[in-house]
Amino acid sequence: MKFAMLILRNVIRNPMRSILSVLVTVVLVFVVIVVWSVLSLLDYLTTEKSQNFRGLVTERWSIPSRLPFSYADPLSRGAARRPGDVMPTDSMTWQFYVSTLDKEKITRESLLFCVAVEPAKILTMMDGLDLLEGNDLAELTRYVKVLEEKRQGIILGRNHAVNLLQKSLFEPKEIIGKRINVTGLATFKGIDLEFEVVGLFPPGRYDTLAAINREYYNNAFDAYQRNTGRTHPLAGANLNLVWLKVPDTNSFTRLAEQIENAPDFANPAVKCETAASGYASFLGGFKDLIWGMRWLLAPACLFTILLVIANAISISVRERRQEMAVMKVLGFRPWQILALVLGESLLLGAGAGMLSSGGTYLVINVLMGGLKFPIAFFDRFMVPEAALWWGPSVGGLAALLGSLLPAWSARNVKAAEVFAKIT
Amino acid sequence: MFDVWNQLAFWSVVVLLLAAVSRVPIGYNLRNLTVRWRTTMMTAAAFTLVIALLVVMTAFVNGMNRLTDSSGRPDNVLVLSDGAPDEAISTLNLGDLPQIENLPLVERRGGRPMASRETFIIVNQAVETTRRDRPKRRFLQLRGIEDPLRSAYVHDQGLLPGGAWFSPAGAVELPPDGERARPVVAIQCVVGEGVARELGRDRDAAQLASARNPKRLDVGDTFTMGNRTWLITGILDSASTTFGSEIWAKRSLVAAIFGKNVYTTLVVRCPSPQAAVEMKDFLANYRNVAVSAQVETDYYKSLSETSQQFAWAIGFVVVIMSVGGVFGVMNTMYAAISQRIKDIGVLRLLGYSRLQILASFMLESLGIAIIGGALGCFIGSLADGWTATSVVSSNAGAGKTVVLRLVVDANTLALGAVLTMIMGAVGGLLPSLNAMRLKALEALR
Repeated sequence: MKFAMLILRNVIRNPMRSILSVLVTVVLVFVVIVVWSVLSLLDYLTTEKSQNFRGLVTERWSIPSRLPFSYADPLSRGAARRPGDVMPTDSMTWQFYVSTLDKEKITRESLLFCVAVEPAKILTMMDGLDLLEGNDLAELTRYVKVLEEKRQGIILGRNHAVNLLQKSLFEPKEIIGKRINVTGLATFKGIDLEFEVVGLFPPGRYDTLAAINREYYNNAFDAYQRNTGRTHPLAGANLNLVWLKVPDTNSFTRLAEQIENAPDFANPAVKCETAASGYASFLGGFKDLIWGMRWLLAPACLFTILLVIANAISISVRERRQEMAVMKVLGFRPWQILALVLGESLLLGAGAGMLSSGGTYLVINVLMGGLKFPIAFFDRFMVPEAALWWGPSVGGLAALLGSLLPAWSARNVKAAEVFAKIT
Repeated sequence: MFDVWNQLAFWSVVVLLLAAVSRVPIGYNLRNLTVRWRTTMMTAAAFTLVIALLVVMTAFVNGMNRLTDSSGRPDNVLVLSDGAPDEAISTLNLGDLPQIENLPLVERRGGRPMASRETFIIVNQAVETTRRDRPKRRFLQLRGIEDPLRSAYVHDQGLLPGGAWFSPAGAVELPPDGERARPVVAIQCVVGEGVARELGRDRDAAQLASARNPKRLDVGDTFTMGNRTWLITGILDSASTTFGSEIWAKRSLVAAIFGKNVYTTLVVRCPSPQAAVEMKDFLANYRNVAVSAQVETDYYKSLSETSQQFAWAIGFVVVIMSVGGVFGVMNTMYAAISQRIKDIGVLRLLGYSRLQILASFMLESLGIAIIGGALGCFIGSLADGWTATSVVSSNAGAGKTVVLRLVVDANTLALGAVLTMIMGAVGGLLPSLNAMRLKALEALR
């Protein structure tokens, strides 16, 4: 205990140096946490899971994938044809619908990117939403129920709500109950729809996505034919992808083989890949950017923390050589001096790291509503709870490494030499 | 307006002024820097890291900007279907095309309109490689064109020496060889340099040993896409344009292979940039067709939104890291001053004024910064010419995957130098003010 108090006293003895070292660590750990928050989500998505495997069926050769809706049912059953074939434990169809809230001025803000789905599947099949708990889950369950009942309903992403309300991220729920009219764009031209906002996705992953009832969407193609006397060009190809859930890797391999070899899905041909592989393909365009963040930016920040703390500690050790010599004369063992210097450094680094991670979590998640960094289909990133231990670990480890040499130098202080210089 | 050269000039003047004001011999500062060389080097190293990162990240954004700025021609008009923000989701009505091509504003040669009808497809390619560091799948951008010579003229694209445009049939039979037991019909294509490099990286050591060009696929090489073999007949001379990331082949073949039997894009050449603007305006109000037309250079410039976002993100990261650098140098300078309090007292007794002492310590701080910053600029400049994959996109939702070259230009280095000096000056100011305020007798006590 006395030793810990000695460490604490030493740290606060030169407040300016300690504060500056803490500030450097706080700001650089902030950058590391931000970078790792982005990477951790991308890694999570692109890492093959061993359980609750998610498969993705899309058009085999090109994107955007366009499949006839007649594929929906057999694909949802995993193209099982024979006894013993693998059946998915759950499935979900996605039909994209791209529209604008303002047909006169098409901007990223006015674009509404929807997926037409079976509402109940939102809770069980959408990545991340199937892990919701507590209030978030209760709220989304309520929205989904309304979407099932009101075919014209829409569950919006936070960005849409903000753009519609032209307000900050803190009051997007005011949009619930309002009606919106959208105009289909490009290949969706002629499919103009009216929706009632029945809910919002939780902030984060689905900020730029909206979900609509697939029955309403499919009916719109029938209405188009009734009104114009022509079949809409997308009518035969308005199914974009099918998500399938299987218990493990082995089931997935068999399921993929079943689907890819099924004669029913020859024209257009389909492919069945893991969700991780699908995400990885979409992120392929950003691979060098992600590499740079992972292997240049984050290590550079860590190394800078290491340098700054090493510098501060070595200055401190140099200034206190006499004091350390006195400590040795008083009976402190060399390893105790080493531990003292390492302890000071660890206290500074881990303390600053903790301050930084807590602050980053609060500022980004609570005050900013997520970190805006549009990459692939993500718009903003939340700092994960795990970041609360990243900060102290990163700060502490960098500080520990940075202080190894100064601490070793302190350990080797020779009392006789120090006093000889003084006299 | 932030002009990096004005800023650099300003900070250079500040350094010269400090040198002029400080009568303290510069050798005194240099001696102190070298005596405490470990501290000096560690502080400078922090600067090196921050500045090197700034240079590399800015070079990345420069590469993206250069790509979007130099793609397209100001006398071309790019036509997509009405409301389509991107080629990938555009579907032009076949009947609209001749109406547009035959408008008087379209340039004609030999009686034919200079227009390129195209089908743009993003292909999901299963990567066939034994290398574990390569992706399993990737997206490739394929442009189906009707008449390669006319499209080449419209897009102002040539081929690198040794290449040729694909034949009118667009396909050729390849005889059996070491890799093929039977003859195979290969689709002929020309590819951009960027995509040729990307595809070339899939080769394993044995393939590289016998490769025509180890850096990229070359004329005569083949690759697999969409279950078909593709034979490269030419490499597009597409340096610094988005076409460098594309594969061009016979439209009728690619439409059939990938089931996209529609035109997505029409690019027409007008006699002048002015005529292109008139053409765009005309099409905006032309009721016979439902299209969205843009001057081609405007379309590609609109794709710079991603680079702007990256530039903001880089600015944010660099500012934060710079704050770290500032605190680092502040720490060093406070320590340097606390160790030299007696020196300062002696200097004051020798008659040096407070301002001269301030200037002396500011110069020392700037010196550390300049050593580190210069090294950072040098290390960062090594990234010049590196290639990287990225995505360029517009506010309206258009986007392309591109292979770009990082560009470290004089502006980037000047930016690094300016940031170095700002960090050095800000970090040195408070400790130098402390030194300046010291009283001679108190300092010597």
